Amino acid sequence: MNLKETALEVLYSTVPIIAIISILQFTVVKLPWEVFGKFIGGAVMVILGLILFQLGVNKGFLPMGEMTGARVVAKGKLWLILCFGFVLGFAVTVAEPDLQVLASQVDAVSEGQIGRYILLISVALGVGIYVLLALLRIFLNISFYYLLLGSYVLILLLSFFTPPQYLAVSLDSGGVTTGPMTVPFILALGVGVAASVRRKGVASEDNSFGFVALASAGPILAVLLLGVIYQ
Amino acid sequence: MIAVLFEGFLGTIKDVTIALAPVVVLFLLAQVFLLKLPRRRLFRIAKGVIVCFFGLVLFLQGVHVGFMPVGEMMGITLGDLEYNWILIPLGFVLGFAAVMAEPAVQVLVDQIEQVSGGSINKKAVLLTLCLGVGISVALAMAKILMGIPLWYFILPGYVIAFILSKFVNTKFVTIAFDSGGVATGPMTVTFILSMTVGVAQVLEGRNPLLDGFGTVALVAMMPILTILLLGFLYTRKEKEES
Repeated sequence: MNLKETALEVLYSTVPIIAIISILQFTVVKLPWEVFGKFIGGAVMVILGLILFQLGVNKGFLPMGEMTGARVVAKGKLWLILCFGFVLGFAVTVAEPDLQVLASQVDAVSEGQIGRYILLISVALGVGIYVLLALLRIFLNISFYYLLLGSYVLILLLSFFTPPQYLAVSLDSGGVTTGPMTVPFILALGVGVAASVRRKGVASEDNSFGFVALASAGPILAVLLLGVIYQ
Repeated sequence: MIAVLFEGFLGTIKDVTIALAPVVVLFLLAQVFLLKLPRRRLFRIAKGVIVCFFGLVLFLQGVHVGFMPVGEMMGITLGDLEYNWILIPLGFVLGFAAVMAEPAVQVLVDQIEQVSGGSINKKAVLLTLCLGVGISVALAMAKILMGIPLWYFILPGYVIAFILSKFVNTKFVTIAFDSGGVATGPMTVTFILSMTVGVAQVLEGRNPLLDGFGTVALVAMMPILTILLLGFLYTRKEKEES
């Protein structure tokens, strides 16, 4: 992906919302102009930041991840693949921009009750464990549907035992792990492993997908558990 | 004016350093023990990592000084209005625009057209997705204004999703559940969520932690339902034909 393409993508996804906010500013809301000025300045930073981030991921982290993943899969040792999946899932989630934003919002609103780092770490552990499970699923040929259904039943059960303030936060955490950092890595890993397994004739064809869905069930469970423990 | 934008900049640099440290360490270990890439190749990758670092710093700084405070203030102002029901249609517009603009949606739409062998029209998918997410942000606003617990939406939503999955071609099921992330991009998290937190702050009897959050969850659920529904209609049509 080149600079122009990346820049256009980022502009497409940011400008409409910025335009709506500007219309609100001129009609209904009328915030002080210095605040709105900060918003426009911030918007420029967000746009530039997302462009650089996207370019950097594509040129730096992603090729490195793909090469490492291919090497690990080629070694063919199940425990090594599972370990790598867990560590990769954890590490890319910590770097996820959407999660960084959610974690600081939660920290601020809960006045430190649900701290920034504890949330980051639980969500990242949740993704790591679920990437591991998703990989294991390919080898054991377990149906995606039942793994996901089981996870959501567990989420429902845990929701009875966790304090209410963790519930909404946990469900939101499931949504932020599907951002610009996590998705390309997890998809690349899933597709790579599924392809290598298929060559050996073990798994059926639709196994390469469902990774993102499983990776967003993990954090929900992790944050609910965090609530149960902290209670 | 410019100086105001860099308030707390050192803190952001620290946050980003911590955020990127695990991936960098993982890949350094991979380089030493597994890959042993030549220096020139490594140099190119390092450049990418540095660009990524500055990108993330700028993004988070922009969110902290601009998007988050303004989203919250807009939520507070609008929630305080006498006609604060305006948040519901406004939520619809924001949700609609957020998906419409998301590059990831294009990939998804192509994927669905492919799976359905071209019989599900691309434009129809895009439109239903936009409507779905628009409705979910509108629901998020209504939920705060009326004080309805999040569970009342999420629980039936996922129950319906799992039941529908039983009647839909498996290819659609995995695509649908994977598509949850399609609309929860940086814009939803930074702006729309800050706004709902702001609304929950200003309304009496609402707790921002309980009522303000949950917006991302609703936005993540709706594409799943929308695509399963499309898949359901498609599967039924297919059966009728055969």
